[in-house]
Amino acid sequence: MFKFQDFDGKILALRAEMTAPVARIVTTRIASMPTPIRLFYVSNVFRCSQSYVEREREFWQAGIELIGSNTSEADGEILSLLVSSLRKLGLKEVRLDIGHASLLKDILNASGLDEEKKGSLRSLLANRDQARLETFMDQNNFPSKLREAFLQLSRCRRLDEISSISLSSPEFRKAGEHLRKLLEVKDALTNYDIENLVFFDFSLTRKIEYYTGLVFEASVPNFGLPLGGGGRYDHFIEKFGKLKLPATGFALEIEKCLKALTAQGFQILEKAKTKVLVSSKFQNVAINVVSLLRDAGVAALLNVTKNDKSKTIKYAKLAGIGYAIFVGPSLENLVTVYDIQSGVSRKETIKTFLQQIGG
Amino acid sequence: MTRKIRIAIPSKGRLKTPAIQILQNIGIDILETERNYVSKTSNPKFETVSARAFDVPVYVQYGAVDLGITGHDLILEREADVYELLDLGFGQCQLVVAVPENSGINSINDIPTVARVATEYPNLSRKYFESSGIQVEILGVRGTAELAPALGLAQIIVDLSSSGETLRKNRLKVIATILDSTCRLACNKIAYRTFESEINEFIGKLKHGGK
Repeated sequence: MFKFQDFDGKILALRAEMTAPVARIVTTRIASMPTPIRLFYVSNVFRCSQSYVEREREFWQAGIELIGSNTSEADGEILSLLVSSLRKLGLKEVRLDIGHASLLKDILNASGLDEEKKGSLRSLLANRDQARLETFMDQNNFPSKLREAFLQLSRCRRLDEISSISLSSPEFRKAGEHLRKLLEVKDALTNYDIENLVFFDFSLTRKIEYYTGLVFEASVPNFGLPLGGGGRYDHFIEKFGKLKLPATGFALEIEKCLKALTAQGFQILEKAKTKVLVSSKFQNVAINVVSLLRDAGVAALLNVTKNDKSKTIKYAKLAGIGYAIFVGPSLENLVTVYDIQSGVSRKETIKTFLQQIGG
Repeated sequence: MTRKIRIAIPSKGRLKTPAIQILQNIGIDILETERNYVSKTSNPKFETVSARAFDVPVYVQYGAVDLGITGHDLILEREADVYELLDLGFGQCQLVVAVPENSGINSINDIPTVARVATEYPNLSRKYFESSGIQVEILGVRGTAELAPALGLAQIIVDLSSSGETLRKNRLKVIATILDSTCRLACNKIAYRTFESEINEFIGKLKHGGK
């Protein structure tokens, strides 16, 4: 995070993400709003990446938050909105991977392992190193039930496979509840008809501490970084004030979405408005023509130089201007319209010119 | 999707030959090796890219390649967010703290305040000394850290050691070990999602035929 010192010595920081600012606004400015609350944002955020590749410090995020509901309906709505947002951008083969922020933690807490072994296990699972995971569990005499659960969870990809995982013994009550919750979300996804593109990933842990439940990431093949993601944060908003509200949301990384679109061969069109440069020896006429064009929605520029015609045309070419027009002493006269791209000039009335360029 | 799976292999150094060898053992021969950015292999599903072992973790993290063969030490040094799918077994080495044989320093507790440490591993060194509560000045160098004490550049080095021979030649002794490392198969997290069955098949072969 970028941190500075204010004049009175207080620490200021640039926002690294938008959920914390949203949570603050929810508990202060709009505390009386009926829940659930639905908010969206498009904003710049600032991160100092340690990476040698990613040199940027300012990133744009577009995101949404659904605050005040902890149901699987709310989770389903958020996931379906994430998929439809990416599809609307034009991205193909969108895929979501979902995990649970507390599942591993609660299994580890119930396992009775010491901190060092918990750490090793966490790292083996996070690295998806199946061979060393099995060796580690054998060497440490894992109870067969726990061993089986870890192997099943790390192999599981489809949400419906979760139902076959047994964490039924009483010490795993919490973990079992998380699995049931994931199955409820699966039902919601089936109703949105996106269940086929959502996968379970036990090793998925987003590096943000406030997540409490479902966490997820969106990606497309051929682009090696997640396009965005989010999760459920049921105990975060209460840190900013009196309100205790469960919430969930996601953010899309705009730059990464653009890169992914490019990687998929999508041509991003720049919609440039045609510009018209207006010159006249008669200042009042030039000003009138410029206002007339602007009123008609045309991007009109007044030639503020004393350059002659050939210099003016040369400038227009370099500056990417569509037409240079030269106006006589009165608006009633025909004007000379110079089409910069084709190099053809013609004489016509202002009205005809406007009609031609669709003003 | 019909795209080939792209594997980064070290372009030089101690990991290069064994990396090429284990691929050969499972029937992936690198064709048209030299001077090519991307090389075809005898297996139509795979192509390879030659890169510095130090850069392989970054190539993998950002998806420039799907898989990469590189040291565990380098993945940690580059803080790369990648999967380490398999311990390939070769390239065993240790990242050690070493000092001149004739120095009075015998353990890290003898290190004088703000001693200078020359290393190719500034990140791991900084973390190690910080967690040990020892204040040092880290000097990042590219290669041949072992010469630094003789040149008066630093009193201490942090460097890889496999047989210990380079250290002995330069009259250096090990006073601490920061980590044990081997060569790993690193994988881009999204490539693993896209190519899971192909990659698992590849790992299965490496486990059985790679030795």
